[in-house]
Amino acid sequence: MRVPFNWLKEFVEISDAPEALAHRLTMSGFEVEAIERIGDDAVFEVNVTPNRPDCLSVVGIAREVAALYGRSVNLPDLTIVSEAKALDFNIDVLDAELCNRYAGRIVRNVKIGPSPAWMRERLEKCGVRAINNVVDVTNYVLLEFGHPLHAFDLNLLKGGRIRVGTPRSVLQSDNPMRFYTLDGEERRIDPDMLLIWDAEVPVAVAGVMGGLNTEVKDLTTDVFIESAYFEPTSIRRTSRTLGLKTESSYRFERGTDIKIMKKALDRAALLIKDLAQGAMYGKLDIYPKRWHPYEVKVRYSRVNHVLGLALTHGRILESLQGLGLDITEGSREFFIVKTPPYRRDITMEEDVIEEVARMVGFDNISPELPRTAFAADDAVSTAGKIMPLKRKIRAAFLTSGYTETINYSFIGKADLDLLRLAADDERNVCVRVQNPLREEDAFMRTFMLPSLIRNLATNVAQGNRELRLFEQARIFLGRPGEALPEEREHLAALVYREKIKSLYRDETPDFYHVKGLLEALFADMRLSGVCWKRSEEPFLHPGQSADIFIGESKIGFAGVLSPLVVNTLDIKAQKPSVIVVELDLTSLMPHIGAGADYRAIARFPFVERDTALVVDASLDAAAILGHVRAFRSDVIEDTAIFDVYQGASLGEGKKSVAFSVRYRAIDRTLTDDEVDAVHAELVQHVSEKTGGHVRA
Amino acid sequence: MSEELKNTAIEELKTITSLPELAQLKARYLGKKGLITLQVKSLGTLSAEDRPPAGKRINELKDAIEAACSAREDELTRKDLAKRLASESIDITLPGRTAGIGREHPINTVLSEIIDIFVRMGFSVEEGPEVELDRYNFEALNIPKDHPARDMQDTFYVSDDVVLRTHTSPVQVRVMEQKKPPLRFIAPGKVYRCDADVSHTPMFHQVEGLMVDEGITFSNLKGVLETFVHQMFGPQVPVRFRPSFFPFTEPSAEVDIGCILCGGAGCRVCKGSGFLEVLGAGMVNPKVLGFCGIDTERYTGFAFGMGVERITMLKYRVDDIRLFFENDLRFLRQF
Ligand SMILES: [Zn+2]
Repeated sequence: MRVPFNWLKEFVEISDAPEALAHRLTMSGFEVEAIERIGDDAVFEVNVTPNRPDCLSVVGIAREVAALYGRSVNLPDLTIVSEAKALDFNIDVLDAELCNRYAGRIVRNVKIGPSPAWMRERLEKCGVRAINNVVDVTNYVLLEFGHPLHAFDLNLLKGGRIRVGTPRSVLQSDNPMRFYTLDGEERRIDPDMLLIWDAEVPVAVAGVMGGLNTEVKDLTTDVFIESAYFEPTSIRRTSRTLGLKTESSYRFERGTDIKIMKKALDRAALLIKDLAQGAMYGKLDIYPKRWHPYEVKVRYSRVNHVLGLALTHGRILESLQGLGLDITEGSREFFIVKTPPYRRDITMEEDVIEEVARMVGFDNISPELPRTAFAADDAVSTAGKIMPLKRKIRAAFLTSGYTETINYSFIGKADLDLLRLAADDERNVCVRVQNPLREEDAFMRTFMLPSLIRNLATNVAQGNRELRLFEQARIFLGRPGEALPEEREHLAALVYREKIKSLYRDETPDFYHVKGLLEALFADMRLSGVCWKRSEEPFLHPGQSADIFIGESKIGFAGVLSPLVVNTLDIKAQKPSVIVVELDLTSLMPHIGAGADYRAIARFPFVERDTALVVDASLDAAAILGHVRAFRSDVIEDTAIFDVYQGASLGEGKKSVAFSVRYRAIDRTLTDDEVDAVHAELVQHVSEKTGGHVRA
Repeated sequence: MSEELKNTAIEELKTITSLPELAQLKARYLGKKGLITLQVKSLGTLSAEDRPPAGKRINELKDAIEAACSAREDELTRKDLAKRLASESIDITLPGRTAGIGREHPINTVLSEIIDIFVRMGFSVEEGPEVELDRYNFEALNIPKDHPARDMQDTFYVSDDVVLRTHTSPVQVRVMEQKKPPLRFIAPGKVYRCDADVSHTPMFHQVEGLMVDEGITFSNLKGVLETFVHQMFGPQVPVRFRPSFFPFTEPSAEVDIGCILCGGAGCRVCKGSGFLEVLGAGMVNPKVLGFCGIDTERYTGFAFGMGVERITMLKYRVDDIRLFFENDLRFLRQF
């Protein structure tokens, strides 16, 4: 809302400079976002909150200024010197619930022309384009009193009559109809939308915009000025449905002043009479639904209780002076506030308490930390478990060289198509946003990989040749038949490196880099029973990827992105290796082990034995190690695979897998004989299980 | 004779340049058939009187040569090592071999900072769904359908009854439905609004907080938020509360801090006002408490909320919010 300082001064005495006044307004809830100097005037850009439509006008702001400075408001002179008796003209309000009051005046023999310079300047300062004297007056009064008016060309209103009603009540019709608004657009009118009609046809969309058929133009001689109170919800619904927001609808949907509308009408008629030399006729005023003030009971003690103050009764009452509230002292404990028609926002005790706080000034309420007992269940919160886990994972990835990303939760159909998901994959069941900013962002992501692939494309396009990225966020799995999707916490990471010349030879990342990090992380979480199986994900390299399980449930995947996917991206020329990981943290959470389980460390020397077994090349290392670890002995401290070799000397389809075992006892020094015996037994066990033999 | 032998040995030692040569020299003098050894053996031919002084002389000679050899050996060993080390020299100006340390996303850095401040003040952390029922996102918060307050937030709709949450306030409602006062928690998380320009993105992060107990006042709200601002931005930063409007609080306040860029003198970022709006807050509207079944006569509470991106932009002077979500490494690596 733009408010010229000089205009404001017409209604209230202001001794402060514009800056000082702006500060007072800002600190009382009317934030002055900017002050624009125009000539000798200063135009305030005031941010009026939706609860205070009464201040969407110069008079409204003047009322606030008067309350702040303890002054009074002087409205313009509305004395009507001469008016002719009302013409034979009728107003019928058919839907009183939607139109509580409808008033109008006729002004005849007007000379349409440009408005005087002073009016055009004021309109322009407020950002309103001047059109002609009659239309300008309605806009001027709108800015001044905050009440929207509409001027019709009286001679285009057929049958000397105005009717206010919906198509349903006027035509008893349930069908939508067509109507041309002032802006020349054809509008589809629903049967529940409130319209203004003459004796035959609609002439305006009530409170939103007038009709093209009754527009005031240069040749207009007689006008009918409308000033009405329309029910806010109905105006808002109409405005939204039509996609048509006007100065008028903006005010009606927030709530207008059912009393000041009469003054606004008189003001407009007087101005038109002056500026367009017309003859005024008597007022028509239909008021089928009376307004009654709210009565709010306010306890003095509650005021202090909520604000943390110790104001006297007198101070509380004094603070509310000047706001136009009708205050009656009820008893020692409370007082009654009756609200004026322009303060429909005040309906309960807290609303009045807010007014006290505003007038006393928030600055005069001193800050004090609460004295409160700790609640026993403070520690148990919904984020209590996942937050520390996410922080731990973040630390691990950061120290491993991964940079953290945050992506929008949105993806598009193309992102899913790229990854070649099977038709029945649950990740195809997306939550769809009805009004996305762009179609590529219409879905909520069901997994995070698509977002990281977008990051890959962005970065490669910018010449970033080495990427290690990770992100932790929610994903959203659609649940047909349920209102809300299932939200799960995921982790995803991506490693990318172009095959470029490098100072050091061994830097090309591979599957094992990522697996190593995950294994370390799993060990840190004391996650037990993790199992890596060949991946069935359609977007991964079948030979260099794994699905990760705990028991029967899949908790993620890791591996090299399939060339089928890479080849569809802009990066195929670089022949890169792209490794991706995604983990479902929600499903692995329950498997996280308890804290440390301390065991004494042995003080006696250890002995190591290495053995290479020749086995079928198809046998997984994990299977061999599994058999090694399955061998029970209380003197085995650690086992590891340290070499895998395939060569002609071993024979077709064979490979050699070398493992080492570290032996140590907690209570004695082991002898060589003892270790040899156990190791021989272990080797025999593993050979039998794997069908292998010790490599010569 | 023996003095002469000693001098010869010392002269020879000086010409020796390697450990094998030194070994040969030692053998020549001190070995089984060495010159000194032969002299020791020749002692037997001397008379009983002459033997002791001669023996003493030979021993001295032997000790002197041994000492000289040993000194030379140390010297040669040091030289050898120095030579080897010199040959192993690498170019220490080449870059190191590392995957580097990754960078935390600046939004998460600031988010963690905010969370930690409130956790230190005894707030717990709560979460809730990002795809939310209209009922929790709006209606329970005193924002009915067809209310102009809905214009304050451009909403992504999934259906008539389901939205992408426009703030984390629905978490407050969900927690208040489940737990009874005293309550003291924050709700951090992602929120969504249908908007995109240099200062708006369709997704961003908020931290909201709620405290409900007997005797909680507006003065307490000021105390807690001032403490937060001073921890977050420094104890010298002024804090200003001014009236505002949110449907779910009454009274409502905007919280401004002295501009951290210009120190309050006025600049482009604070539009010359010297203040920056960073928080919205207020006393919880009794209608909201009532919706959650909390006795509004017994309990009062305050709520507050802030945008993490806004604070991060101020902290690092980032001028385009969209950079946070482009995830270009050249941006992310700066933090
Ligand atoms: Zn500044």
